Amino acid sequence: MKSLKNAQTPAHSSPSFLRWGLLGLVLLISLLLPWTLSPLWIRIATEVLMWAGLAQSWNIIGGYTGYLSFGHGAFFGVGAYITGITMLHLGLPFGLGLLISGMAAALMAVIIGYPTLRLRGAYFAIATWAFGEMIRQIATILEITGGAFGMQLPAYLNLPFFYYLFLLMTGLIYLTIYLLLERSPFGYKLLAIREHEEAAEMVGVDTVMIKIKAFGLSAFFPGVLGGIYAYWVTYIHPDSVLGAVITDFMVVMAFLGGIGSLWGPFLGAGVVQLVNRYLWLVWGEGTFYLIVIGAAICAVVLFIPSGIIGLLESQIFQPRTAWKEIRKKVKW
Amino acid sequence: MLLESRDLTKAFGGLVAVNQLSMTVEKGTVLGIIGPNGSGKTTFFNLITGMIPSDSGKVIFNGEDITKLRPHRIARLGVGRTFQIPAPFSKMTVLENVMVSSFIHTSSMKIAKKKAWEVLEKVGLDEKADFQVLNVTLEDRKRLELAKALAIEPSLLLLDEVMSGLTPVEVKSAIHLIRQMHRQGLTIIIVEHVMDVILSLCDRVAVLDYGRKIAEGTPQQIVNHPEVIRAYLGERYRARS
Amino acid sequence: MELFLQTLIDGLLIGGLIIVVGIGFSLCFGVMHIVDFAVGEWVMLGAFTGFLLVSYFGQDPMIYLPVLFIIFFVLGWAIYPLIYRAISGKRHNPVLMGLVFTFGLSILAKGGALSIWGYHIQSITTWLSGKSLALGPITIPALRFSGFLFGILITLLLMFFLYKTKLGITIRATAQDREMASLLGTDVRKVGALVYSLYAGVTGMSGILIGALFSIHAAMGVKYCTLAFFVVVLAGMGYIPGVIIAGLILGLLQSFVGVYVGGRYNLVALFMVMYGVLLITPKGILRRGI
Repeated sequence: MKSLKNAQTPAHSSPSFLRWGLLGLVLLISLLLPWTLSPLWIRIATEVLMWAGLAQSWNIIGGYTGYLSFGHGAFFGVGAYITGITMLHLGLPFGLGLLISGMAAALMAVIIGYPTLRLRGAYFAIATWAFGEMIRQIATILEITGGAFGMQLPAYLNLPFFYYLFLLMTGLIYLTIYLLLERSPFGYKLLAIREHEEAAEMVGVDTVMIKIKAFGLSAFFPGVLGGIYAYWVTYIHPDSVLGAVITDFMVVMAFLGGIGSLWGPFLGAGVVQLVNRYLWLVWGEGTFYLIVIGAAICAVVLFIPSGIIGLLESQIFQPRTAWKEIRKKVKW
Repeated sequence: MLLESRDLTKAFGGLVAVNQLSMTVEKGTVLGIIGPNGSGKTTFFNLITGMIPSDSGKVIFNGEDITKLRPHRIARLGVGRTFQIPAPFSKMTVLENVMVSSFIHTSSMKIAKKKAWEVLEKVGLDEKADFQVLNVTLEDRKRLELAKALAIEPSLLLLDEVMSGLTPVEVKSAIHLIRQMHRQGLTIIIVEHVMDVILSLCDRVAVLDYGRKIAEGTPQQIVNHPEVIRAYLGERYRARS
Repeated sequence: MELFLQTLIDGLLIGGLIIVVGIGFSLCFGVMHIVDFAVGEWVMLGAFTGFLLVSYFGQDPMIYLPVLFIIFFVLGWAIYPLIYRAISGKRHNPVLMGLVFTFGLSILAKGGALSIWGYHIQSITTWLSGKSLALGPITIPALRFSGFLFGILITLLLMFFLYKTKLGITIRATAQDREMASLLGTDVRKVGALVYSLYAGVTGMSGILIGALFSIHAAMGVKYCTLAFFVVVLAGMGYIPGVIIAGLILGLLQSFVGVYVGGRYNLVALFMVMYGVLLITPKGILRRGI
């Protein structure tokens, strides 16, 4: 029976006491963080939280469902702009603006998903990509967005506030994913679609509907995060919140961390954002990071398709077997 | 009459896979479909379940026209099927695979789990419930196919070559299993190459060739039908029987 | 009326060049079943390579067309094993992995180009630049016209290769039914390598013409990516003859939107049409896609 130990681990292994303890500890540390760090590091921590939320949102449709959204940054940008517009032009409170941003992003996702999620994944990838490009162009055309000049939001310079807000939102995202995707019929159906779409239909899963819902959900969160980001940085323009690079980052973070897993995107976001900030400190502004992102995506696909989380899960705590297991996951 | 197809036709490019096929299945019976490779058996299943759209013709299930329905709707009406090449959800456990089917009737994890367990017991997979699908044998995958189809609690079950690749002993236990399900009132259509299976299970047998039905009757009528022997069974089979 | 005619001619001429980008891309999708997100970057790299060749060796850019084809054919041949590795059936979800891989490649190429050449805009001039043919009130710029001719020529050559040679027929058969082709003894991997190299060669080669017609900069790939995507969706994914019609329609659409609505609405118009096609007839306007 011992040799079957690995085989018997359920796909959704229930978190043990140790895991909950670890989670509590991490949460406690993150609550105390702003009192111990310098502003630069609080800033970096805030960014990591935001990216962890964004990468996980992408993971809903890209990782759990297996449909690649290559224009996901658009939802972030749309959220940023709509929050700005509701605050500046409609005078609505920030919280309500966030809600509207999320809903608008989700609505857009449903509209794009409706025709494309019936087709092969390649169509979806193309359509979302083209959508992202279009939204950026629209933002530079419209007057209400400030065109290429961008938009200045009311300033609220309170770094810890935004840190906690991102912590709350990203926490909510992970909780939602945990409850909805790891622990409910919805999540099982999504996995079934990813693993074998036709077989899922044969057992009564309304695949199109489920996919549209998943896409809507995966767009809602970036919409809200985009809104918070806009209020945080106070000045937004098409390249800063709608640049293709936002999607690129989501993809590389989710893949590097491990797609279709709960903690993979978090790990990926942490690693990528820290490396990114390091490069920035060493080399200053530049485009070199694009090479790093591109190369990282290619390398992950070729060598560690299960991502960092896949490597970690391979019994890393038993030194004797860990190396063997890792070698198995790293595909040469 | 539980299922009826009327002049069902499907062509892929120039190749007519299913040609004006009319078939009826009475409630509580077992219909066998045999025929050479490429004679349209699997395509027929794909048409009934709505996996591919038909060019013309009708499918009537339980008095309802299901020709244009989407696959999941047909499944919800009570048509279950297995795939010739097992199509499990690879990154899930055996139990979770079956639970996906159970969600057709319930959205409670608890009830779904319980129902999935019952089905797994029925097909003899309960001991491997927590195994990752990637780690189970071909026979168990075939059983899992069956379990997934049964868990939607169908009134009609379409079995697509569930015996292929199994050893004689495994075939025997599979036959036993199918007979049991039949006794519990399930209507079944079997596509199979193993003639012993067809002979021992079916009330009626239809023979397809190039998408057309060339014969239909009781198993005994079929094995002695001259055209069937020419097109499919071959002289060798007649000599043996 | 003159403006209308001029717009029409311009659109058709551009369409000829777009067909070249679309045709290799569509073939590539048909055989490998993945979308190459790096399609626009091949155009960009082709343009820059042409620019470098011209600035080092002089001469007219047009004579470098065959050189570019060979360079990019070899490059495609060198990269294909990696793509094959990503899409080979051994791993989980090959299509997804293939898409992400080419997406990564495109970021890599764009990042590389931006890091080397920055955001500077370069241009190539040929002896055709600035010359034009007058047809009554309508002018036909010589460069656009030769681009169009080039497009037609390449398309005819490719069609001849695909429909009249044994190798071409094997490729089409593979594009139509990969499994059947491999059962009949076709080495699908080799066919894939050939198609990818061919596509990279043709796309890279068209880069120098596009560069001469418009301008060359590191971020230009995005535009041609969009155009290629649009063409294959309109044509029906993997359906080669549809590319010709779709390319011309796209050329016209671009031209008319540019003149009558404003060039900045181009992407919006493209997306709207693409969305409409996906909504109404997802297999392309001729309903022949896969």
